[in-house]
Amino acid sequence: MLADAIRSETYRLSKNRTALFWSVLFIPIMGVLLATLGFVVAKANEAKLAGKLPPELMKGGPLDLGLTLVKSAGDFANPAILMFVLIGAATIYAGDYRWETWRLISARNTRPNLLIGKVAVVALVIVLATFAALISDVIASLIQAAVFGRPITFSMTGAAATDFGLLTLTSWARILQFTMLGLLGAVVTRSLLAALFAPLVIGVAQFFLPQLLMPMGVTTDGWLLPLLSPGLATDLLKAVIQGGMAATELPDHAVAKGVIGLALWIVVPFAAAVAWFNRQDLSKE
Amino acid sequence: METVIDIRGLTKTYGTVRALDGLTLSIPRGGVYGVLGPNGAGKSTLFRTLLGLIRPTEGEATVMGGRIGDPTSMRRMGSMIETPRFPPFMTARQVLEWLARAHGGVTSAEIDNWLQRVGLTEAANRRVKGFSVGMLQRLGVAAALMTKPDLVILDEPTSGMDPPGIQEMRALIRSLADHDGVTVILASHQLQEVQRVCDRVAIFNKGKVITEGRVSDLTASGERLRLSVTPLAKALSLLGERATLDGDAVVAAVPRAEAAAAIKALVEGGVDIEEARWIGADLEDVFMSETGWTGVQEQNRAG
Repeated sequence: MLADAIRSETYRLSKNRTALFWSVLFIPIMGVLLATLGFVVAKANEAKLAGKLPPELMKGGPLDLGLTLVKSAGDFANPAILMFVLIGAATIYAGDYRWETWRLISARNTRPNLLIGKVAVVALVIVLATFAALISDVIASLIQAAVFGRPITFSMTGAAATDFGLLTLTSWARILQFTMLGLLGAVVTRSLLAALFAPLVIGVAQFFLPQLLMPMGVTTDGWLLPLLSPGLATDLLKAVIQGGMAATELPDHAVAKGVIGLALWIVVPFAAAVAWFNRQDLSKE
Repeated sequence: METVIDIRGLTKTYGTVRALDGLTLSIPRGGVYGVLGPNGAGKSTLFRTLLGLIRPTEGEATVMGGRIGDPTSMRRMGSMIETPRFPPFMTARQVLEWLARAHGGVTSAEIDNWLQRVGLTEAANRRVKGFSVGMLQRLGVAAALMTKPDLVILDEPTSGMDPPGIQEMRALIRSLADHDGVTVILASHQLQEVQRVCDRVAIFNKGKVITEGRVSDLTASGERLRLSVTPLAKALSLLGERATLDGDAVVAAVPRAEAAAAIKALVEGGVDIEEARWIGADLEDVFMSETGWTGVQEQNRAG
């Protein structure tokens, strides 16, 4: 039954080329285009820009694609990706309200299965978006190497591979968490706009939360901020994985705070959405 | 009598409005069952409740032996509630492929077969965004039937269809009941269509069933004697309140047992009878009289 829900939702999304383009392909394509433009302009004005741009951009040794991948995995859950993946997620979560199609599918499965099916497909979209972003970063690196005549290498030690895997997983979870607010918004309001704007509004509020609470004595060392701000929880996890300077300044129990903060904001909106949906009348989808 | 739906005291309120008001009804297995009623009588609310789309305020119902929302029972049902809508970016075939995946167990060959049965083969690869209401209805019917359900609920399935389409749909519904053993529940405002297709009907008004029974029984109870006579005035006078004028004939509401005596009285009273025949009440008459709709119209006219 759950497999049926996932299969049908995947099939429907596969036919929705607009949603797939904006949520999976737009940012990677723009990333490659803008990076290429930047490299070409920098190359054309190499003499003028000498000393103004980071030296590793134009000169330096071989360009390591392995490092590019690790860096890309760490930076993946940025606001632009969050917003554009949300377009696909909102379409999936609010589509049946918008197109009045709950009546066609709700009698064929249980309501929790139908929502889990949607979340599973959004999780898949995030995987696709992750791959697309990684590939676009690799392409951008190859273009950079070609424009500036830098040799290309690829190195990926065991530790780097672990970092790459953990950073990818953390970024994936952060995006999934962001879209969960869209699920709750869609179910409660039956509106595509709410599915889009609820995560954005809450995300902005959470971004400014530390600045608001710090004057009241709340510090980043405690539990409260990572639990209230999944963005901060994600940053904690990334800092732990990436190590270096940032890792030496981490608070106690940083991993636990990061994992619990992120998991909380995935599980609570999902459970609330399922509970609401189970009691919801679908008389006016 | 084996039943597919048993409803006991079902009530659904929206604020102060009682869309269903303690509804009790049993629908037998097999055949085509018509649900009639004026707009707002509670038909669609009942269907949505049976499909688990909305929760009843009070009462209970079983569908195919299971409680409302029981997935095993629900998966044995097919339905089309009002004009169906579909994701606009999908083609007709993709819509059926999508719903087939949601249900499981439907092959591509069966999808092709249903597209052909509802007359959408040529439009199969067109996006539903450009479909007419009639085409959406056809696709909705295919979506409801392709999973080989034991029970089908069709709410206004011929709405927006052209006359040949209506005829095809009527034949399809009858064939489902007669050859495939499917129980069909049909709501329609086309009373002639219901009379032709349905075996039993329930007439709803204000969230309640006001009459229920076999179509033949309901229409027989309104049977009348149509007499072509001269002079008309004398015949009307002799038959009294039981008779009304219908063009150049008199229609008399007399039971069959009393018909011979009534005719004898007319002949003895000097009335020439050219023709006498029984005319049945049609479902429209039953509907009008049961729902009081005619009375309301007359009051409006008087007002």
